[in-house]
Amino acid sequence: MLLHEFNPSIKALTVVVCVLVLSIFFDPVTPFLTLAVTAAATFIFGRVSFRRWILLFSPFIFMALIYIWSALVFSKAIEGETILWTWGIFTLTEESFQRALSLGMRVLSFTSLSLLFMLTTKPAEFLLSLMQQCRLPPKLAYGIMAGYRFLPLIKEEFDIIRNAHRIRGVPKARTLSEKLAELKRYAVPLLAGAIRKAERTAMAMESKGFTGDRNREFYHKISVSWKDWAFFAFFIAVVLASAYVSWLFGFLQLYNGKL
Amino acid sequence: MLDKWKLREVIVLSVLAVVFAVVYLVFVQFGNVLYGMLGLIGYDLIFGIWFIVSIIAAYIIRKPGAAFLSETIAAAIEVMIGNAVGPRLILSGMIQGIGAEAVFAATKWNNYRTWVLIAAGMGSSVTSFIWGYFISGYAAFSPGYVTAMFFVRLISGALLAGLLGKWLSESLAKTGALSSFPIGKEIKRGKSDNGITA
Repeated sequence: MLLHEFNPSIKALTVVVCVLVLSIFFDPVTPFLTLAVTAAATFIFGRVSFRRWILLFSPFIFMALIYIWSALVFSKAIEGETILWTWGIFTLTEESFQRALSLGMRVLSFTSLSLLFMLTTKPAEFLLSLMQQCRLPPKLAYGIMAGYRFLPLIKEEFDIIRNAHRIRGVPKARTLSEKLAELKRYAVPLLAGAIRKAERTAMAMESKGFTGDRNREFYHKISVSWKDWAFFAFFIAVVLASAYVSWLFGFLQLYNGKL
Repeated sequence: MLDKWKLREVIVLSVLAVVFAVVYLVFVQFGNVLYGMLGLIGYDLIFGIWFIVSIIAAYIIRKPGAAFLSETIAAAIEVMIGNAVGPRLILSGMIQGIGAEAVFAATKWNNYRTWVLIAAGMGSSVTSFIWGYFISGYAAFSPGYVTAMFFVRLISGALLAGLLGKWLSESLAKTGALSSFPIGKEIKRGKSDNGITA
């Protein structure tokens, strides 16, 4: 059984619900356990190589560190907490340290869940599933697919514009106003070209009989089975079990009931 | 909502979303640098850029749903081309889009003057901040810092989404590429305020 085989919409729903549930907890252990299980599932059932995974994951380690730093420096000290260290107006309590750590861990656990989705789902299948399971209007779904196909064309056009500027000897932007002018020099022709292409594409689609009717047939059918719901239930259970284990060892925190 | 849209408008909307999804991804890198230097508030400085497609799409297409859909699609495309924030980002996009859409809805999608565009950018700031408060645990930060973050984001939404979005849309209209949209006709007639030079 591979993670690629599950229904993309349900996979996305699972990730979003897990993220929402994880946001209730303010202790570092719950997100850490979820992160460990999710990463393991990605390697074993997603056949994702560790190298590829860590390449995408590592920027978020940096983000998590800064997050912890921000949460420590600008922490909210609550009376009656154990003070670890004071320096001028700066007070570090044990509880705020734990909260900071939990926010950093939270970033990482969210990332692991997202990578599980992204590394095992094809964009086109996700859109087909959104159309077939979530009633996304075909007009919009095929519009997005057409737009998605424009990406390489836009890249090509960007290179052309850059080369054209170079040949004509446009100097490198240094000051802020020059940078803004440079932004406009690129953005406006790129967008104008893209919009003209979009209008031509729409005309071509309509001339081939695309009406955007909801009652259309699909060549590539995407279905939902009990296995997909089992996948959903499994990951919600992972988050809840992580919270349970955290509670067993006395770490669980729900932000003291205050928001 | 989409039944009243022409296919042409839907595809233009998607293409705008694709272009700005790339811009958004580039700005994530830029945001990370500011974030590294200034901490969490670094993001808020440039947060407005992530609402710009709402303003541009609404200003060009002028139909209910343009602000909301463009932001949502841009987020979805960002996920597809590799923002590791993942499917949660689509939810963030929806929430940002709702903020701008609510402002346009309050004018019954009839008024696209500068102040409305600025208010729409600020609307996204407000909804995205409420969402961030929950999802990123701002509750753990001191109230003064959170308030500062909020105001920085509000100003960023007004300038980088509202004003920059208006300026880009009008520069675009001047090329003639938008001649079949209301904004293109406005520019042609010279009705729009001409504070901007082409």
